[in-house]
Amino acid sequence: MTESATEPGGIGDSSPVATRRRYRRLLVGTIVVGVLAALGLRRVGYPLVGEAAYWLGVLGFLAVWWASPVTLFDERDRDIERRASHATLLAAAVSLPVVASAARLVTWLDLVAVPSVVWGALYGYTALFGVFGLAYGWLRRRR
Amino acid sequence: MNNEVRERRETRDMSQADLAAAVGVTRQTINSIERDRYDPSLALAFELAEFFDCRIEELFRPERGEE
Repeated sequence: MTESATEPGGIGDSSPVATRRRYRRLLVGTIVVGVLAALGLRRVGYPLVGEAAYWLGVLGFLAVWWASPVTLFDERDRDIERRASHATLLAAAVSLPVVASAARLVTWLDLVAVPSVVWGALYGYTALFGVFGLAYGWLRRRR
Repeated sequence: MNNEVRERRETRDMSQADLAAAVGVTRQTINSIERDRYDPSLALAFELAEFFDCRIEELFRPERGEE
């Protein structure tokens, strides 16, 4: 359905709900356009221009966030983020030791050559937990 | 956590969006609080109690056996 200026939620609707929806769409839109433009320009041989488009998208995202006259993210959004982060970390904490152990075993037993990208991902996850440990320790000391 | 946010808001003939704007959160947050799907922070609970001109324990009541 096309948004009308006279309808609630239309382009002329200045209620906080409609304004918030508009700004959130703009927020996501700027970063999506930046990333798509970057990928497209890289593909047609303009990687540097693509990188500039990517950063324009990132700066646009931050500008919309900063300039928004309404609350775009509040404590419930932060609570959802916290829970999602916890779930993600839990999934990684369960899978990392299993996958790492399996990768070591198949390597030592000469069963399969584990691709370097897998080792890279495992080291990346390990580094992520290292950062988590530092952040946890820092926050614990402050409380 | 049980609460009387919906009843008090409707008594004042306000929409969720109006209340959200008044206390500085999103409409979805007010909706989640009213449906007992989200427990607000202490700061927001005080903000709501102040807005409705009541004590915080009149607005929010913990359920027995709740975490």
